[in-house]
Amino acid sequence: MALTITWLNSAYLRGRCCRQKVLHPLLGPLLSDSMSKLYSSYRRPGSQPEKKRSWQNTDFSFKKGIDVLKTQLSMLKKETEDYIIGPGGHPLSHYLLEQTRVLWEFRSQEDLKKWVISSDVEIGGKSEVYLKLGRNNQAALLYGTLNTEVPRDGETKYSGYCSMRAKPPVGSFARKKYYDWSNFNSLYLRVRGDGRPWMVNIYTDPYFSHQKDDLYNYFMFTRGGPYWEEIKIPFSKFFLSSRGRVQDDQHPIWLDKISTLGFTIGDKVDGPFQLEIDFIGLLNDRAHTEEFAYETYEKNPPV
Amino acid sequence: MSPHTKLLASMSLLLGTIITTSSNHWMMAWTGLEINTLAIIPLISKSHHPRAIEATIKYFLVQAAASALLLFSSMINAWSSGQWDIPQMNHPMPCLLMTTAIAMKLGLVPFHFWFPEVLQGTSLITALLLSTLMKLPPLTLLLLTSHSLNPTLLTIMAISSTALGGWMGLNQTQTRKILAFSSISHLGWMTIILLYYPKLTLLTFYLYTMMTAAVFLTLNTTKTLSLKTMMTAWTKAPMLNTTLMLTLLSLAGLPPLTGFLPKWLILQELTNQELTPLATATAMLSLLGLFFYLRLAYHSTITLPPNSTTHMNLWHTNNPTNTIIASLTSTSTLLLPLSPMILASI
Repeated sequence: MALTITWLNSAYLRGRCCRQKVLHPLLGPLLSDSMSKLYSSYRRPGSQPEKKRSWQNTDFSFKKGIDVLKTQLSMLKKETEDYIIGPGGHPLSHYLLEQTRVLWEFRSQEDLKKWVISSDVEIGGKSEVYLKLGRNNQAALLYGTLNTEVPRDGETKYSGYCSMRAKPPVGSFARKKYYDWSNFNSLYLRVRGDGRPWMVNIYTDPYFSHQKDDLYNYFMFTRGGPYWEEIKIPFSKFFLSSRGRVQDDQHPIWLDKISTLGFTIGDKVDGPFQLEIDFIGLLNDRAHTEEFAYETYEKNPPV
Repeated sequence: MSPHTKLLASMSLLLGTIITTSSNHWMMAWTGLEINTLAIIPLISKSHHPRAIEATIKYFLVQAAASALLLFSSMINAWSSGQWDIPQMNHPMPCLLMTTAIAMKLGLVPFHFWFPEVLQGTSLITALLLSTLMKLPPLTLLLLTSHSLNPTLLTIMAISSTALGGWMGLNQTQTRKILAFSSISHLGWMTIILLYYPKLTLLTFYLYTMMTAAVFLTLNTTKTLSLKTMMTAWTKAPMLNTTLMLTLLSLAGLPPLTGFLPKWLILQELTNQELTPLATATAMLSLLGLFFYLRLAYHSTITLPPNSTTHMNLWHTNNPTNTIIASLTSTSTLLLPLSPMILASI
């Protein structure tokens, strides 16, 4: 084990000093780290300089491996038990009678760990975003400052966004899992904003990579008052966008394989923002009969 | 979809099926299978939804790989025996490869992973085509070569298909995936009797096609894509909901419905061949599917799920029920008393 690390380190050093001479056209990628670029050392302004190689971070301890294996096996056992009970770990009658479900509520630090915050710092911007628990541990507070100053790298034209995104559900042995929201038709959010408009994004992790930028978005307009708001967003209102561009060929979102939910603010206004979220849930609104809010691209849709 | 495209695709499907089922040469069989694959691709991706495109890509990749493997196995057979006749596939290695290729085409375990996803991504009618018509050519090839197939491989695939089809169908909430797993389970039953009494495989396939067509067409009338919609389907067409439940129970093999006939005959034949443990295992594993269908029937037909009176009235007019559903449903539930006539004719 120690020998492997020493060998890798020496190979890496040898690779670095020979890089300029391009001595090993075939062995070059093997000796140098996969993250380094052979012909340029450009690094995006917001990203941290690479201090440690990815394989140097691996912890080869046997005991830790056994602990991880035990955790994963217990997760697998729980999944099997849930599978025997019924869909989603509840009996089928529970699934059929369900009309509301709370997905994420913010009552402890553990709940906050299920979310990831990001902002335009990753492209070199100057916005700040923070996530913490609100007063009395009753809500999550997403706050920060939006700064639309464009990073001066010659290729970025716009800047100024902050977002919070849920971590995708993960099963035992790091398998991808999906949420099944097909029983519901609206998103139910209890929030207290500051009047700024937010965008709600739903990501349905597709199987093939050419669709990996597909996102379903809709807007959430907050009121800004001292009172809590309960916002219902029907899923029929979500429109499809890819890499931020709204697509021509629109279709309703399929709710049987959802990966993550996210909130983004990017309303081109410099200044502080604040959003308190009590919980995020689902609702089967029987009064909502709309199937899709936008025209599909078909020339002669069946009536 | 433009009527010309639809006509071209459906005629190509028929052409491909006829070419494969009537061929003697492996090349023609492969040609028919490829025509089928290519013809159904525009039908699967008709709606241009990302999930439909995903289903199309998955279907194409699996079927193309299976066709290539089939061609490869027939070439090895031609190389070692000098002829391309389909029933004359005598060498063990090409036989094994061919069985694997056909298993990939049909969706037998362990090559079943694509089937539920592809069925989920398509419309109900295309899913019906995928489950019934697209199974006929590969099954024909298996029937033609049934005397030289490896019993161990077929038995393992059959038992695991029955097991997995029942086990994985337990917690599904989407109707198309439920029917995909029922298809896998039925394929297991068809495969297990292939070596001993191939005509029963054909009978199972015909009855399965009839019952599946009845179920898919009923689901298409009420636009039931998930269990939630199924629970409120009784308001749109109450009689159709009841007959749907009876047809689903027939699919599960509950006597005295039609679906019991192939299962009974298969169990009888397996017992006659001194394979009683196999028969017991298969019968026990099909109980999983039966459990699920009974639970579904109880919740949707016998109990009353929560709803509001205005929920069911859709603003556009209902499609009139297709008359073919009536004939398919009656045959798929009431055919058991005619079993002596069926037995005499197969």
